Amino acid sequence: MNISTADFWGYVGQMLDGAVVTIQLFMSGFTLALVFGVAIGIITLSRNIVIQAVWRVYASIIMGVPSLLIIFLLYYGGSAMLRGLFGNNLYVDVTPFGAGLAALTIVYAAYVAELVHGAVRNLPRGQFEACAALAIRPVSAWRHVIMPQLARLALPGLVNIWLIVLKDTPLVSLAGLNDLVANAKIAAGATKEPFVFFIAASLFFVVASALTMPLSNWLERRFARGLQRVKA
Amino acid sequence: MTSLATEAPMASPVAEPLRPIAVEMTGVDKWYGTFQALKGIDLTVRKGEKIVICGPSGSGKSTLIRCINRLEPHDKGTITVNGIELDGSPGRTQDVRLECGMVFQQFNLFPHLTILENCMLAPRLGRGVAKEQAEAIARRYLERVRIGEQAMKYPSQLSGGQQQRVAIARALCMEPRIMLFDEPTSALDPEMIKEVLQVMEDLAAEGMTMICVTHEMGFARRVANRCVFMDKGEIVEEATAEDFFGNPDSDRLKQFLAQILH
Repeated sequence: MNISTADFWGYVGQMLDGAVVTIQLFMSGFTLALVFGVAIGIITLSRNIVIQAVWRVYASIIMGVPSLLIIFLLYYGGSAMLRGLFGNNLYVDVTPFGAGLAALTIVYAAYVAELVHGAVRNLPRGQFEACAALAIRPVSAWRHVIMPQLARLALPGLVNIWLIVLKDTPLVSLAGLNDLVANAKIAAGATKEPFVFFIAASLFFVVASALTMPLSNWLERRFARGLQRVKA
Repeated sequence: MTSLATEAPMASPVAEPLRPIAVEMTGVDKWYGTFQALKGIDLTVRKGEKIVICGPSGSGKSTLIRCINRLEPHDKGTITVNGIELDGSPGRTQDVRLECGMVFQQFNLFPHLTILENCMLAPRLGRGVAKEQAEAIARRYLERVRIGEQAMKYPSQLSGGQQQRVAIARALCMEPRIMLFDEPTSALDPEMIKEVLQVMEDLAAEGMTMICVTHEMGFARRVANRCVFMDKGEIVEEATAEDFFGNPDSDRLKQFLAQILH
């Protein structure tokens, strides 16, 4: 390696700053996608024609267009869109982080919503009927009976989405966000040591993914109360 | 057991004035798309009566019983339960469901809750009963279906017969005045049918109004005041258990009984 130790640690420090940005974007993006996705998923179970039409258009755009394009659209076209929606005198500076967060939310909320649909379809109809026959009102039934079971059914899919969002987060660096990957690229370019910094960045993602496994196992055990004892 | 069996049908001597009506269906039609599942159903069930509905599969028995608590909305005619007419409004539907308990073929217990929690949920949410009181009610009914010692287990840890008894207890915890049974023993292994029927017979002996869709003809003979035979969405014959089995009127019922009582 032909760089000084001080320089090297300088670049490592920059990459750590970038990693913090990556983690912030990933966590906030995943959380918002989860919240909006579950809400959209439940609302679009309705057979209302308008709701169904809006959902179909949204889902087919989101699932057909690459996330990178959505990030670019929101970053380069974001202020124009906001002005169009809320009036011309509004001036909002769309930051790369803001555009990236909005894009990850909009894209992955659609996937979470699809997951919710699948989980509801897999839930026996008898669960809804038992609630109705016991005079449990729909809101209570969803909260106490349906949602806990959906969480269990949707968990494997959610872990998948979690990992995909994690790996999609660096796309926002192309809109100018100084995240882990952007800083690794700068360091690699400046030092002509691509392997060192890109492998370091890769290790970060490997470790972050590996950490999700114990988390998802713990959640799975929690949600499978009453079920896993028989499997054993 | 034999004493219960003879008591039940004799509970309403001829001279006694007619009891109040629990469930009244008049001219009920039900369509699934272009298929007519129920055709002009007229049925009156009085308080304390035990009615058994039987018939070939696809004859509309389940649809009929599910219309009584509006799990299926009917398309024509009127259904009145303990004086409340089902007109499609959420309030009336809720009131009727508070009058009726229902037991399903597939038990439909909540798999993520313990047996005790299964029984406590509806009273707490639907009737606003306090936690301690709900637990006391749940334990009382679980004892009555002889499953009290399993209260802390989850449904998947119980046998089918035990699960169905829990389902009966869960429905009773809402203290309904009418119990609807939709083929309660059809999903059970043969050796578990008896324990569920026993619980239902105990319930009948206590004077509960019961409407049961079942193929258990022994149960029908022992417990039912009246048996109803359905075919192709119509009530073909309605008679006391004695006449129903001993002296069936229609050819369709004769055929059905010949097939089922081998």
